[in-house]
Amino acid sequence: MKPSSSSFIRLLLVILGLTASFALLAHGVDEDTRQFLMVHQGTSIIPFMYIGAKHMIAGYDHLLFLVGVIFFLFNTRDILIYVSLFTLGHSITLLYGVLGGINVNPYLIDAIIGFSIVYKGFDNLGGFKRLLGYQPNTKVAVMVFGLFHGFGLATKIQEFDLPTDGLITNILAFNIGVEIGQFIALGLILIGISFWRRYPGYLHFSTATNTLLMSSGLMLIGFQLSGYFISQN
Amino acid sequence: MNTNNIPTQSATTLIKASIAATLFAIVVLVIVILPAEYNIDPTGIGKILNLTSIAEASEITPVKEASPAEQTVSERTDTVDIEIPAHKGLEYKLLMEKHAHLEYAWTTDGEELYFDFHGEPRGDTTGYFESFAITTSNNMKGSLTTPFAGSHGWYWKNETDAPVIVTLSIKGSYVLKP
Repeated sequence: MKPSSSSFIRLLLVILGLTASFALLAHGVDEDTRQFLMVHQGTSIIPFMYIGAKHMIAGYDHLLFLVGVIFFLFNTRDILIYVSLFTLGHSITLLYGVLGGINVNPYLIDAIIGFSIVYKGFDNLGGFKRLLGYQPNTKVAVMVFGLFHGFGLATKIQEFDLPTDGLITNILAFNIGVEIGQFIALGLILIGISFWRRYPGYLHFSTATNTLLMSSGLMLIGFQLSGYFISQN
Repeated sequence: MNTNNIPTQSATTLIKASIAATLFAIVVLVIVILPAEYNIDPTGIGKILNLTSIAEASEITPVKEASPAEQTVSERTDTVDIEIPAHKGLEYKLLMEKHAHLEYAWTTDGEELYFDFHGEPRGDTTGYFESFAITTSNNMKGSLTTPFAGSHGWYWKNETDAPVIVTLSIKGSYVLKP
């Protein structure tokens, strides 16, 4: 492990320690969150940040994609670049989707998010290199899939028919929360992966891991498309 | 670096990995996910594993507390039963114009509840609200002429170990806030 990435992880650990206590305090608020969003009016920054962060940490689809993205990124600079591109992508469509009142079918968008995981798993196996003779630009891919993930985030918050009072502030707070959640989740993933990378098993099992990633993505696609067809009947 | 430096697997490995991923996904979907989420159980294994009961439970849609046929601001009356869960607080709000008149009466089945009858001005972003009555009681009856346009209503807090039903009767010009 390079010194720069180990210091980055140390920083993350400190921040995780600080945030963990908040997460524990608010444990088991799911029904309350729903109630809050239903009756809520006006601006409230911290609650929306919290809801955003919680969605990201509990959102295994976003996390699986991130695992795929950073699987072969070995230094902090690359991780920051790719994660920033993903963040930029999903922030654009989250804000555009909610503020522009764009209604995307949540099942279809979640199926596309599933596809992004399959794509990244296949990409990590060198599948595109083998199939096409070259690897499609990974930065463009992470950005484009970021756009789709953003629409997915937008549909989750749109479910609640938010009042127009303070909508922009609330959505920005939600977005910031999403980034905090992503930061925490990424920290946990990086800690796990960094330990794992010390062992030769990491590369040895990379085929198995990315196959499993593809499989999870396919499950999500099947799950969401079934939901879509059921909802159409 | 616009691509990642990754090991390229052989064609055989790729095909094997893709087939394995697809098969595993199909098996888990058909046996576990579809039965548990949608009660679709072609193999019957979901039923044996008792997973379909999860989907069956979620098919029972919760009853909404108030479902008025129309939401207009003309004079109307409603009587609603509001269940305050044990150790929880709940808000019930009406959207009203300025100087709108409301007659109200609510009562519980005997249990006393802490409550706050208050209004929040429309468009307010500071969190300001004006309380009309804060006390602990098992009933209250009165009328209100709103000091400002906005959402007006009650917050009840149930500190007992059992849910308490509040029966609220209201008459006036308002829109029930969903």
